[in-house]
Amino acid sequence: MGRQGNNMAAKIEFKNCNGCGLCYDRCPQDVIAWDEDKDMPVVAYEEECWHCGICWMECPKRAIDIVYPVSFW
Amino acid sequence: MSLDRIANKVIETDVLVIGGGMGGCPVSAKAREHGLTVTMMEKAKPERSGSGSVGLDHHGGPFPREGLTVLDLVERDVKMFERIGMPLPDVNIRYQVIANAFWAMEEMEKLGASMMWDDGKPNFVPSAYGGPRVGLRVHFQNVKPKLAAASRKRGVDILERTVAIDLLTNGERVVGATGVNIRTGQFIVVKARATIIGTGSFNRNYEPETPQTWVHKHRYNFCPASICGDGLAMAYRAGAELVSMDQVAGMPTFRHRDDLSEPFGNFVQNDGVPLKCYTWNGKEISFPNYARYYELEKKGLTPIYFSLEHLSEDYMKRVDVCTTEERFISLKMAEDRGFDRLTHRYESMPPHPMGLQHRVSGIRSDEFSKTSLKGLHVIGDSMAGDGGGSGASTTGLLLGDSIHDDISEADEPVIDPDQVESQKQIMLAPLSRQEGTMPLELECAVRYACGFYGGVLHAEGKLREGLRRLATLQREFLPKLTVKNPHYLIGYLEVRNIIELSILEMQAIMERKETRGNFIRTDYPNRDPAMDGKIICQSLLDGRPVIEVKDQIGLKPEYGEARK
Repeated sequence: MGRQGNNMAAKIEFKNCNGCGLCYDRCPQDVIAWDEDKDMPVVAYEEECWHCGICWMECPKRAIDIVYPVSFW
Repeated sequence: MSLDRIANKVIETDVLVIGGGMGGCPVSAKAREHGLTVTMMEKAKPERSGSGSVGLDHHGGPFPREGLTVLDLVERDVKMFERIGMPLPDVNIRYQVIANAFWAMEEMEKLGASMMWDDGKPNFVPSAYGGPRVGLRVHFQNVKPKLAAASRKRGVDILERTVAIDLLTNGERVVGATGVNIRTGQFIVVKARATIIGTGSFNRNYEPETPQTWVHKHRYNFCPASICGDGLAMAYRAGAELVSMDQVAGMPTFRHRDDLSEPFGNFVQNDGVPLKCYTWNGKEISFPNYARYYELEKKGLTPIYFSLEHLSEDYMKRVDVCTTEERFISLKMAEDRGFDRLTHRYESMPPHPMGLQHRVSGIRSDEFSKTSLKGLHVIGDSMAGDGGGSGASTTGLLLGDSIHDDISEADEPVIDPDQVESQKQIMLAPLSRQEGTMPLELECAVRYACGFYGGVLHAEGKLREGLRRLATLQREFLPKLTVKNPHYLIGYLEVRNIIELSILEMQAIMERKETRGNFIRTDYPNRDPAMDGKIICQSLLDGRPVIEVKDQIGLKPEYGEARK
């Protein structure tokens, strides 16, 4: 799938990710950690995501999507 | 034991700023301009932290203009807050913010936050409802990166991803604070001649919009300000006074159908054109207060909606611009859900225990940000009686411009290593437990207790039960929290503060035995004239909680004389 997990709030499309680290750097909730082995971001604390969209705003490659939980609908 | 052996890092600084938001960045930058050393403790990263993190579409001011003097605006502010049953704790704070609105605008420009609109001029907007806000529309999507850059450029030492644990005290003087880096686990001591709290307000004991989606799940879409009252709780534990914790009210937020929210400011601060308000079946009504909303609910006329259909297409385009500047993600969400701004209705948030906020509560200070504790200052929403991005930046700028006077008078701060060690143990405790409750699980339980037993409709029985439950959660579960790694310490330290402030809030509500504006005690349905102009104050005296009813502080004669 190339995507991070199945039910994540923030999904990273690694095919498009250039590993710049802005999402890891800016996420106010520290939801995104850094995978040292892959040198890529990883959504580590998905349950704490507030859907603020900062990672989505900041990503220069539009590699991040925000997926809303069912109760948003 | 020496501090170096207890802490991973010890920093000595003139000014410690806790919180790097819309107030924290300006105060840090300004204090540096006066040659002071400044350390900022920020739990996220100041480029995208606090209520300005996702942008702002308006700068409230309010700006005296077009025949409205500073005093006119102060009086209108006072009346508006009285009308909703929320006396301003100290009117002089509002005076300072309004009197310095234009100066603050110029100072924000110097920090790189452009206050101008597309034509290079300030875009003032009237309020649609005749209220005191005469604000400014701004392109502030990137205001935080700019303010953070201004702080860095001026040499502010920024401790990123570092959450404050507690203030350090020496008698009645605050001498710094401890903190922990949530990525490295580093325990940090900051010894400071002056400490400034700019951690925002306290609202996180209520669900923001709809119930949690699943176990332990937060629901704060759009605005990642932590609003857990860290600064308020720390100041209270250190001996400062908290004011008006009873004053909790709903945020007049719009929702697109279910819970797609739009900030209120987007709409009312455009052309000064009031929105039309309708019952669910299309009957036009005036915007209801809480009591009126409940009447509508009894008649089966809720939910109520706002309509923008009567507004011009040009206005609608500007609404989109505003949303782009603040809560940009809401455009994506609207698109994902097929929401059409022109034809779909905006549901108004009903006055239930969701989206509640303390608008005038906070740490007691004078209009120059000084608290009752020597060496402790407070800015922005952490102050009792001011708020919003413009209040935060103005109070921050004012304090940044004057704090050097206090520093020059300050003696060398002396830190007690035993106090540092005890704060370190508070931080380490959940890391050492293999089993226990997760912080987010406890926070959900606190929010449930506050929503069910606190909320909007207050009564003694509910409050007593709520207090019993909160005390149980604090006593039984706080000492059993477990965290897997330092990242989770942020949630642990936050919930510790959230419980403490939730209890104080319910105790304050219990003390106000009346119904006033949107403050509703169903067991005391009438206004109590004896509480006119009264505020509820809470503090610790020799470790014991004290609650007192005090007078609202009116305008000082020297400010009032400006009218003559």
